[in-house]
Parts: sequence; structure tokens; C-alpha cells
Amino acid sequence: MTVRVVASSLRTCFGTGDQTFEALLRGENGVGPLRHGSADRLGVERGYHILDDGPSRAGRWLAGCAADAFARSRADPVRERVIAIVGTGLGELAAVEDWALGGAVPDPEHLHYGGVLRAVLPGVTDVITLTGACSAGGHALALAQDLLELGEADVVLACAVDGMTRSMLAMIGRVAAEPTSRVRPFDADRTGVLLGEGAAAVALTRTERPGPALASVLATGLSCDARHETAPDVAGIAEAMRDALSRAARVASEVDVVVAHGTGTALNDPVESAALREVLLEPGGSPLVTAVKGAVGHLSGTAALVNVDVAIRCLRDGVVPAVTGLETVLPEGDGIRFVLGGPVEAAPRLVQTEAFGFGGANAVSLLEAA
Amino acid sequence: MSATITGWSRGSVVAGPGRATLASWTPGPVTALSERPLPAPDAHAVVDFDVRAELGRRGTSFLDRATSLAVVACRDALADAGLEPDDTNRDRIGVALGTTVGSFKSTSEFSLDSKVSEKPYLVNPVLFPNTVMNCAAGQAAIRFGLRGVNATVAGGPIGFLAALRYATNALERGYAGVMLVGAAEEFSEHRAWAHALSTGDPKAASVGEAAVVFVVEASPTGRAPQADVLAVCTGYGPAAAGGRDRALRSCTRRALRTAGVGHDEIVAVVTGEADEADLSEYRPVTGVLGKEVPRLLPKVYFGDCGAATGGLGVGLLLAGHRGIGPSPAGAALVTGCDPDGAVAVAVLRVVRA
Repeated sequence: MTVRVVASSLRTCFGTGDQTFEALLRGENGVGPLRHGSADRLGVERGYHILDDGPSRAGRWLAGCAADAFARSRADPVRERVIAIVGTGLGELAAVEDWALGGAVPDPEHLHYGGVLRAVLPGVTDVITLTGACSAGGHALALAQDLLELGEADVVLACAVDGMTRSMLAMIGRVAAEPTSRVRPFDADRTGVLLGEGAAAVALTRTERPGPALASVLATGLSCDARHETAPDVAGIAEAMRDALSRAARVASEVDVVVAHGTGTALNDPVESAALREVLLEPGGSPLVTAVKGAVGHLSGTAALVNVDVAIRCLRDGVVPAVTGLETVLPEGDGIRFVLGGPVEAAPRLVQTEAFGFGGANAVSLLEAA
Repeated sequence: MSATITGWSRGSVVAGPGRATLASWTPGPVTALSERPLPAPDAHAVVDFDVRAELGRRGTSFLDRATSLAVVACRDALADAGLEPDDTNRDRIGVALGTTVGSFKSTSEFSLDSKVSEKPYLVNPVLFPNTVMNCAAGQAAIRFGLRGVNATVAGGPIGFLAALRYATNALERGYAGVMLVGAAEEFSEHRAWAHALSTGDPKAASVGEAAVVFVVEASPTGRAPQADVLAVCTGYGPAAAGGRDRALRSCTRRALRTAGVGHDEIVAVVTGEADEADLSEYRPVTGVLGKEVPRLLPKVYFGDCGAATGGLGVGLLLAGHRGIGPSPAGAALVTGCDPDGAVAVAVLRVVRA
């Protein structure tokens, strides 16, 4: 079975999903000076920010995306059971950090997104917040498909959000040899990752629901490496890719485009390249591969759904943006068709999107035109 | 839904050679299980249970009683199904266990240690794993090398049924190929006192301990089916003002509809009620069925075994207790409620006793 995407709403440093995709096609990158915490103490000087400060900002971005996707889905909570699932890495941890540094005590009710979403989704049956590191949005998408196919809901909003927290910034600062100026996915001279801020909401329904659709989600493959707390693992990532293909009843050679995870870190990019080679290239596939983190940063829990939004536009517009920040392909990526220099016109039928999180939590989705 | 039970820990309900006894039909003296005073001298406890005799010395020294019972039940269920975990299947075999609070004794004593020790951190670190609620499911996976979905569902009286629902969802959505589904509750002075102090009704069943585990597989399976799990539904209605009754009626209708089973096909109901006089589940359920059917009461036979109650109920059906294990022509309901208003209903069809 497949489910249909009837609306997708995105917020990144570039603005909406339309604005983000246009920026990707132009090869822009949205990096700027770090706006949260102290750059010298964190060891991080730059970030891909949404220029909107103040309390509960992640919740506001999420609410904006969810309300937009809900409205465009034309869901009717009187007749339809509508469930919202929010995938996040760190949620409103920034508010807890502010508290620890002498700021206001956060209301525990605001640390998950039940109240935030109920306020903008009148009549919503249920709001579920799950944490799943940097593949949280992919887990939300998988759970959304489960709920629809089990008949537990009629419309599901798979949502994701993450802002920046000082603790995550400090961690990134500690693992980079020196402060990174921009993210360069799959580049031989990559210097590590930078965080981005963002939120996304994808409205999904079963195929028999009438009305227009943007794309179909065939399946999401999930896996857990069970190997290492932070280091990615080829076997675990390959397993998620195979699980997606098997659930979708597709073969590797049918995948036309991959919107990769591509964090620009020392470990992710070679491991992801090896998994792509093993699962897609060796059986005869030759997909175009793109990645967005050079343009919008690493959106943590939102990373999976940004890739899904971009995949939908690749299917719809017949164009695949280049990997912003990629100039010299890393040696381990030899033979992989990364999109370089500028966008490529293509007519993809099947697009694979990827997100991999700490703890070895992997999510790989397959989408096709509606 | 189509999930199939292909094996279970028969010793939970029927004593026999080659299997551990994992529940007690008759209350007996339990003072040997506690060094401190108990609210009552008797309980439905498996007083003779000895994890070392069952599993050997290796890896069992620090297991608490609830975990030990659960791991032995998993061993017996695997053996009954003839399922041997190996490198070809272990990634697809998972565990879903229901619980109330894990081992109440382990958490209580660990907390107490940190308060009575000279320093709060002078606690025995090897006992810490016992204090997490998913200890039993984790230890079962470690011992038998089960690398699939591993989940613990804290549902109190409906713990087993909630775990069964979780497991059938995991099977139906392809996240696992085989699930060990069950629940375990240990006897301890902590549970005995909690039970005595929280039970308002003096006639309520005495505290019991039990472990029961089933091998549940996505259909069809190469192994001989013993029962089909046709539906498991959960619901909630505030216990006050009849909300729970309404939730149970609605949950029953939903379960029958999902199972594709007609009201007239139901030949027995297994409830979590305390005794014959307690009709808090039977009345709403038979109201939906529109007829009276024979009723099995695991709490009357085994004491209040908390999260394991529903699992013992399924075991009674599989064992053909009182001759009302439903034939292939009939199906049975297993129901449960908690005091706050959570409800659960499973529909099963026994294929082979």
C-alpha cells in the first residue's frame, strides 16, 4: 500500500518550501553568524538561522507549518480522524537551557507539542511527540503511514521541528577540528557540520481519499545500527535502504534520485556513500544524488522531512538541485552521480530520501509522483 | 489482522513435565519469600520457583524474580513452538512484555539503599539494571539472542493485552516476523502490601504472581497454529460516571468488527474481574453480545497477577479450561480494565488445544 502527500509545508533559513527550493536551484547557502550562545566558548561560529528570536520559537515554526499543511489538506476533523505526529531531536530544550542560565521556568506543557498543535489544529484527534534524533521526521513519516494503513486515522500530519540548543552546538564544536564556515556534503575537503533551524509538516492520506495530491509515499524503511552511540554504520544504513525497497516492492535500479543525508562530517559521508554503492549501485542502479545541508544546514529532527519536501519538488518540477557546497567529490564517492555545479533536468519517477540519527536510528523513504 | 499463536509457556496454566510452573492455582504460605512482615500469610505465589534450577548459574545471579519468571516463560514458549533463534532468524524475532511498574521490589530496594547507605551513591551498581521497567524484555532478548523489536508496555491490569496489541501491530506492519508476547508479575512484600493497602474490597482476589509468554507470528507460518489473534483493541473512558462501561462496550464492538466475527460466534469471555460477583466487565461485554456466555476468571484461579492477567486468560482458552476452549467454529473475548478507565478487548480463535 502507499499513502498520498496532499500538502507539504516547510520553514528553513530561506523561508517557505518554495523559497527553499528556489534557493537550492540557485546554489545559495543560507549560513550566517551564530545567533545563539557565545561562539568562542562553543567553538561554533556560524549557523543556518531562521531570523526569528524569542521564546518557544521552535513551537511557533512548527505551529505555522502544521496549520498551513492542515489548511491545504482540507481535512475535516468532524468527519475525519486527524492525528499529528511530531518528530524532534531536542524539542524545546533551548527553553530548559535558558532556565538553567537564570531565565524563566518553562511550563512543562510547552516542552512537548500537544498544546501548541491543538491550538492551531481545531478538532485534531491526537498529537504525538516522538524524539528520534536526526531521523525523527522519518520515524514520524513511517508512523503516519502505519496509522493510515491500519485504519487508525484518516489524515495524518507528519511534522518535525528543531531549533538550536547550546548543548548541541557545544557538542558540534567539540568534534570539529576547527570551526566550520559552511557545510560541504560529500566533498573531499569537508570540514564538518553546522546546525540549521527548521520545521516541516507533511499531510498524508490513504490513496482512496478524493482530491489532488503532490506525491505518494511508497514506504519508509527503518533500522537501528545497534553498533555505536554516534558513529554511523554501513550495515545499519544499508538495512534501512533495503527495508524501504522491500516494503515498496521496488528494486534498486528503479531509484532515479536520492536526496541524501550528507552531513559533511568525516564519518557520515563515506559511510553513506558505501551504503549507496552496496544497495543501489552494485545491483545496477545509477541514481542522481543530491543533498541540501550545504544550503540549509543540518536541521536535526527536521532533516528527513526537508528531504521529503525537496523530493516532492524534484518529482513535480522535473529538476534536481545540485549539492550546494560540493566541489571535489570525496574518494569514497567515486562512481556516484552527485549533482554538481547546477541543477539537472530529469524526469524522476522514484526518489529515495535519507536521514540518519545518533544512536544508529535510520530512516529511508521512497516517494513517487502522485 | 492475522497473527497466530504457535507456542506458549504451558506451565503458566497446566503443570507438566519439561516445563516450569509459572503460576499458582492455590494460595499457600509465602512467608519464606519475605524477611519482613506480610499483610497476609498466604498468596498465589510460585514458592518453589528457582531460576538457577531452570536456567543454570550463569547470568542468573543478579536477575530479579519478575525478570527470572519472564525469561523462563520465554524459554518454554520458544520450546513449545519449536522455534530456535539462530543467525538466520534472530533479527526478526522480537519481544513485547506487559508490566505494571517492572519489579516493584527492585526499584523500592534500590531507592531504599540509597537512603539508608552512608552515602546516597553507595548502592550496588549491578542491581541497577533491575530497576528499569524493560529489564525483563531486555534480559530475555540477551539470553536468547533476539534482536528484533523489543518493547515493554506499562499497562497495569491491561498490560498483557496492550503488549499483544503492540506486537500484532509490529507484525502487521512488518517490523518483526515473530514476537514473544507476555507479561510477568512477581510476588514480593512490596506488591503484597501495595495490593493490601490499595484494595478497598475485602473480597478482592489475593495477590498472585505469574509469568506467561506466547510465540505470536505473522500468518501464515511454517509452525502449527494453536490460536489466531483476530483483533486487539484498546480504549479509554473516565471510570466515573459510566465512562469506562461505554469505552468497554465501544471497544468490544470495534474488536468484533475488526475481527470479522459475529456476536453469535463468541462462545466464551475471559475477564479481569475479581470474582463471580464482579460483573464490571461481563455486563457491558455481554450487553454488546446480546447473550450470556461462559466466563473464565483468571484472578479467581491465580490471584491478582496484574499485567499477566490477560495472558493467563489466553492460556486458559488454549488449555481448554472447563471444556470451553472455543472450537474452530467459535471465538472468545479476553477483556481487561484498569481503575482509571483504560479498557482492552482481544478476539481469539483457538485452532488446536
